[in-house]
Amino acid sequence: MLTNKNPEMKKHCEHQGDCMQLIQRIIDKEATAEEEQLFLNKKEQCLPCQEGYQLEQSLKKAIKEKCRSKCPDELFKSIKAKLFILLAIISILIPLFCDQNK
Amino acid sequence: MDTPIDILEVEEKSIAPEKAKALFEKEFMPHLDAMYNFALRLTNDEEDAHDLVQDTCLKAYRFIGSFEPGTYAKAWLFRILKNNFINDYRKKSRGPSKVEFEWVEQAYVGEEDAEPAFQADLKAETVNEMMGDEITKAIQALPVDFRMIIILCDLEDFSYEEMAKILNIPIGTVRSRLHRGRAILKDTLASYAKKRGYQTDSLSANGTF
Repeated sequence: MLTNKNPEMKKHCEHQGDCMQLIQRIIDKEATAEEEQLFLNKKEQCLPCQEGYQLEQSLKKAIKEKCRSKCPDELFKSIKAKLFILLAIISILIPLFCDQNK
Repeated sequence: MDTPIDILEVEEKSIAPEKAKALFEKEFMPHLDAMYNFALRLTNDEEDAHDLVQDTCLKAYRFIGSFEPGTYAKAWLFRILKNNFINDYRKKSRGPSKVEFEWVEQAYVGEEDAEPAFQADLKAETVNEMMGDEITKAIQALPVDFRMIIILCDLEDFSYEEMAKILNIPIGTVRSRLHRGRAILKDTLASYAKKRGYQTDSLSANGTF
């Protein structure tokens, strides 16, 4: 990912704290369309905002790609088996022996 | 702080067993992978994750009458899972996870609105070049509250509003916790990168690569 370096770009962002919060809301799809558009225009003139935006995007993507694991088949089967037993208890035993419940 | 038993306060509504089974298969089973993954990230242990998912499924089945079809099943399940996790790890005092959780509470209560340190010394390129195990290691190293919210947001794509419901916290806390968690994560990754000699200079405006 190459940074678009505009020679007149700001090297320092005076509202970096607020911008970082906005960047995260944008990548989380929680910002309004206006906020997003305003930021996208602004980031062309502000290096910390542009780099921050790219970093947050990369981080989110990396987490999505690297932290995924699949439910083991045996767990899947054991859950289904347990539910089947529960179902059997509920649908057969309880109505039949409801007078004798402990 | 959370009221971890909230889901249990809902009364057990009766529902025909066959209907319950169909509902379970249709609405809940598709989220098993995501639940297992969440459980694994929370417990850091395959066996514990296994137990946690199983308990969650059985509990979800028991309370299936209070699930409203058409609402978001995944959020409902994750909320049960998270409550199970917190209850279990508080009660059973098994291993370091409990210690970690209490430590998080003590260390971070009241600090969630504090402004995190400025951007970590980390570049997007560095993150892109990182091996998977560095990312997972950094996630695992996060205090559990932050790990939880980052997984919910970045991996499972829950909205802030859904996360607020799952975690039983105000939406403002969702935002600040997420922000803070990411700041810690970036710091951790920056320190890994430094050790391995990646380029970490965050404002290297020389444009030579």
